[in-house]
Amino acid sequence: MRSRIYTIISGHFKSWYRSKSNIFWTIAFPLLLIVLFGAIFGSGSTKFDLYLQNQDLNANTPTLYSHGYINALNNTGAFNLHVVAAEQPDPLTYVKSDAQPHNRGQRLLVIPLGFNQTLKNGGNATIQLYMDQSDQASASLAGIVRSVTISYAASIAGAPDHLIVQQVGIVTKNIRYIDFFIPGVIGMTLLTTGVFGAVNTNGRYRELKIIKKLATTPLSKIEWILGMVGYQMILATISLVVILFFGYAIFGVTATIDIYTVGLVVAASLLFPGIGMVLANFVKEAESADAAANAITFPMMFLAGTFWPRETLPDIMKIIANFMPLTYVNDGLRDALIYAEPAQALTNTLIALGLAAFFIVLGSVLMNWKEE
Amino acid sequence: MSDNVPAPLPGQSDKVVQVDKLSKKYGDNVAVNDISFSLTKGEVFAFLGPNGAGKTTTVEILECLRNPTGGHARVLGYDVSKRSDQAEIRKRIGVLPQDFNAIDRLTVRENINYFGAMFKHQLDADKLIELVDLKDKRDEQFKKLSGGLKQRVGLAVSLVNDPYVVFLDEPTTGLDPRARRDVWGVIERLKSQGKTVFLTTHYMDEAEYLADIVSIIDHGQIIASGTPDQLIDSHGGKKTLIIRDAGEEGLKQLPPGLPKAELRNAGDIAIPLHNGELTNILMSLGQTPLRDKEIEVRRPTLDDVFLNLTGRRVSEEGN
Ligand SMILES: Nc1ncnc2c1ncn2[C@@H]1O[C@H](COP(=O)(O)OP(=O)(O)OP(=O)(O)O)[C@@H](O)[C@H]1O
Ligand SMILES: [Mg+2]
Repeated sequence: MRSRIYTIISGHFKSWYRSKSNIFWTIAFPLLLIVLFGAIFGSGSTKFDLYLQNQDLNANTPTLYSHGYINALNNTGAFNLHVVAAEQPDPLTYVKSDAQPHNRGQRLLVIPLGFNQTLKNGGNATIQLYMDQSDQASASLAGIVRSVTISYAASIAGAPDHLIVQQVGIVTKNIRYIDFFIPGVIGMTLLTTGVFGAVNTNGRYRELKIIKKLATTPLSKIEWILGMVGYQMILATISLVVILFFGYAIFGVTATIDIYTVGLVVAASLLFPGIGMVLANFVKEAESADAAANAITFPMMFLAGTFWPRETLPDIMKIIANFMPLTYVNDGLRDALIYAEPAQALTNTLIALGLAAFFIVLGSVLMNWKEE
Repeated sequence: MSDNVPAPLPGQSDKVVQVDKLSKKYGDNVAVNDISFSLTKGEVFAFLGPNGAGKTTTVEILECLRNPTGGHARVLGYDVSKRSDQAEIRKRIGVLPQDFNAIDRLTVRENINYFGAMFKHQLDADKLIELVDLKDKRDEQFKKLSGGLKQRVGLAVSLVNDPYVVFLDEPTTGLDPRARRDVWGVIERLKSQGKTVFLTTHYMDEAEYLADIVSIIDHGQIIASGTPDQLIDSHGGKKTLIIRDAGEEGLKQLPPGLPKAELRNAGDIAIPLHNGELTNILMSLGQTPLRDKEIEVRRPTLDDVFLNLTGRRVSEEGN
């Protein structure tokens, strides 16, 4: 005897892969987005980003030697210099928060107060270069900074060893836009396949009287819902694997799949179909339910930080984003796959699982299996 | 398949369906109003009525999809209102819902096996495909089939658990005459296999052609029941003599002393026949130019029965 749930899963799955538009929306479209967005925003310029704080000011103007040094750095043409105001008390934290949304490398060079004076007096001045040793660009960047420094020191004092570059290691993951984007695309795909899948298999199947027919057989409502969720989990796993594979193959995005990733995929395969079921039960006509699904998924996609960080949203939108279930799935996926932040991943996974339980139960209770 | 045998009920084991003073209200709307009837094993029963008469409501109560608000109904001896009995009913009945569509992107065969897998035992898909005459379309996706073929897939699906009784809710509505005939063919085959069939329809000719017993339902109430012949004999009225294509002119050529004739269907003359009048009328017609026309005697149909009982006719769309 074949299991009923297995039959339902395989029926949904066959219907899925036999539809070209399904394949497009669940596989080809996300990949297209990745390639497009990756090509537009993903590859930074060939220059190195370098944040620079010049603390050696005299009445708000750079001192002679500090100015000269900055010019020397600039003249190499190797750097995009981003100035950090001298008043900034904690330049490193500032750099960390500023670099990510602008998709820049997190490196900071600090010219200390008294730089000019020390050199004039023939003393040894120290410049601090903060950077992540694991940053792929670190070796070449440090090399350039060092050679600029040596030749500058030689030119002003005739003594190259008067100027010392002190390299300070900082731990950052250099997150590129594409690293940020890929978990978002996964979240978006889970959202759309889940919501639209449930609208289709509940709203449309009801219109076609397939559900009515099934309700006259020994199949129970619970088995039907389990079948749908099982199918969604398979689909979610396929999406995740395909997107991560292409992210790695095309852009070298390396992701860690851990227990939270699994938890989030499970949560998403309950949460989004649950939302779809609630919709399909409130909006009885399948076509209107489809429209309602569009009306819900699109704003959610944009506000929940799929395409760009929520930090860049206006405040009111940030507040709205907190009420979007996708926010927690996206954040959790980023924490788990890219940032390797288990504590944050756990929080987001738990929130997503809680929302999932709520929506799948609500959707199941609302669903009329028999009498309309 | 021992668990497929319905529980025998003493003294009434051949009653497949028993409905007793059944009612269903939706708010203030009484969709089914105190109806009673029964189905005997091996019978084709037609529930005949216009749109909104309460056919689907009744069938779906028997299929345990809706709860009655009054009265009782038993299917294969099991009570449709009892939860534990409902599970037993579901194993043993076959259902074709009104406007049913199978799953678009599954093939004919896959659809049969899909619904078959919901039961403990299922009939061989190929045998069912043969029964509904879909051998060439076996591996075609459902969405690519024409309306008539789709409906035959629905029939196959409704038989997949080798049911004791099959409920077919308007199986031919919306089909062209040819496709309707094909569906009739399948139902006749079921009948010859001894299956009990509960059919709803608003087509009078369908009920007349297929059914052993017809119950006419209107506004939630059964207004007449019996074999088609019984219904026609008792409510159909008189036979009619028809003279084809005679027109206004023909009316003037009629010999005097006939019952009142009327013109129908663009030119046919209809003359109601009283018992024993036929020979006299024909003889007198033989004296007129009308003798060269096509002349036939028409027996009343269920259409006439419905007209006589309700004062209305049911249109092709069922209104
Ligand atoms: N779920 C429902 N809620 C409220 N009223 C309903 C419901 N289903 C049917 N009705 C009403 O009950 C009456 C009988 O409907 P039913 O569907 O049983 O008729 P039917 O004979 O099957 O008609 P049709 O030929 O159109 O299928 C109609 O007035 C209909 O509007
Ligand atoms: Mg109906």
